[in-house]
Amino acid sequence: MDLSIMIPELLSALPLTLAITFTAMVAGFVLALIATTFRVRRIPVISHLADLYVSYARSVPVVLQLFVAFYGLPVFVDIFGAEDFVSPTVAAILGLSLYHGGYLSEVLRPAYLAVERGQHDAADSLGYSFRQKLLCVLAPQAVHIALPGYGNAIIYLIHNVALVMYIGAADVMATAHLVMERDYNQYQFETYLVLAVLYSVLCLAAWLIVRYFELRSAKFAPRAAPARATLMASV
Amino acid sequence: MFDIDVLLPDLREILGAVPLTLAMALAVFVLSTIIGSLFAMVEYRRVPVLRQLVVAYKVAFKGVPMVVVIFLAYYGLPSTLQFLTSLVGVDYNGHSTPNWVTLIVALTACVAAFQAEVVKGALNSFDTGQADAAYSLGYKKSQLFRRVMLPQVIVAAIPDLANSFMVIMKALSLGFAIEVVDIFAQSQLTAALNFYYLEAFLVAVVIYMAIAYAVTQIADRTERALRVRT
Repeated sequence: MDLSIMIPELLSALPLTLAITFTAMVAGFVLALIATTFRVRRIPVISHLADLYVSYARSVPVVLQLFVAFYGLPVFVDIFGAEDFVSPTVAAILGLSLYHGGYLSEVLRPAYLAVERGQHDAADSLGYSFRQKLLCVLAPQAVHIALPGYGNAIIYLIHNVALVMYIGAADVMATAHLVMERDYNQYQFETYLVLAVLYSVLCLAAWLIVRYFELRSAKFAPRAAPARATLMASV
Repeated sequence: MFDIDVLLPDLREILGAVPLTLAMALAVFVLSTIIGSLFAMVEYRRVPVLRQLVVAYKVAFKGVPMVVVIFLAYYGLPSTLQFLTSLVGVDYNGHSTPNWVTLIVALTACVAAFQAEVVKGALNSFDTGQADAAYSLGYKKSQLFRRVMLPQVIVAAIPDLANSFMVIMKALSLGFAIEVVDIFAQSQLTAALNFYYLEAFLVAVVIYMAIAYAVTQIADRTERALRVRT
């Protein structure tokens, strides 16, 4: 096994992996904001749909969500009569965005609710609109509470990007399989060890970035902030 | 493109994989909770060297995706087992290890790192004033643990334990990469026979959501029944 050949080859697939991660991160965040807004405001039917979406994203395995996106998207596109443009990468981004949005909504909602009740009441009594209340009073405090959970969510997203190879997107895992097969599957264990190190480094980088913001946002924290991240894996 | 007639036969076929999946999930859950509790006790009691080892273990297994761990176990476990058994002089062909054993070992290793966190959180939620009270009443350490600590710690851990059971259920779906047939793998097999992929996967989605709902309900009821009323 020649590491000096294998590692550059694996790294050549890293841009696509990171692109999927970042797109899913941004789209998932937007989805999570929308879902969380509907869930905390309790609008009759829409809130229940948002609840259903979140429980779909959280209780169904990510592989299965990816497959549903992969096979469901063409059907969905067909209904609107559009041309079938769906590639595995698009399906992977869609599936992961839906997953990340649902997971993140369950981080943002408790953070929103964890801001002290008095702060909500004070903002309401001063006649703040929902948007003003959110932006001026709640968001700065909720950000600090949500950041540890957000860091976890990002790490799980990076973990789950490893699954997109099953629907045929050419990410790092898929490239690793190509490399292994070229060597007649002699070095599978070693290749996976390299992958393990690679993913650990990615997660470490993500964690350090989130950690930086966590320390910076500490100034908005109330004295005894219940900043506790749910430390549970997400598959 | 979407056929409703195929849903019912698909459902019947995929439901057949539910008992096995639940059994495997239960096995992983019990094993990982035992190992995780040991880890948590090591951290709670601040045992010198073991504590650093536990932290290293947790860092290693939290940073790596579970698929990678499963593949590592798949390719690494048989030869490791063979080597270990040859040390004690037993002749065992490691490559005859069934795949579901490999999957259970890999998932237990992963989930134990998270279970340690759950149990540690529950232990930390324990009010130390009660420990002082128990000591002042002449309780021994083992009595304190069994009569005061355990009942409260278990109740405090129930929501997280239910959560981790669902995580295990979902993690088992990664087993299809090493030919272990759970709900997800069964839906794939069913779909491969009649080419109705979306239908089979949607049936699997419904089954997973139903199981998640049942697990949360059971956890909520148990928690309400066990919680000490104050």
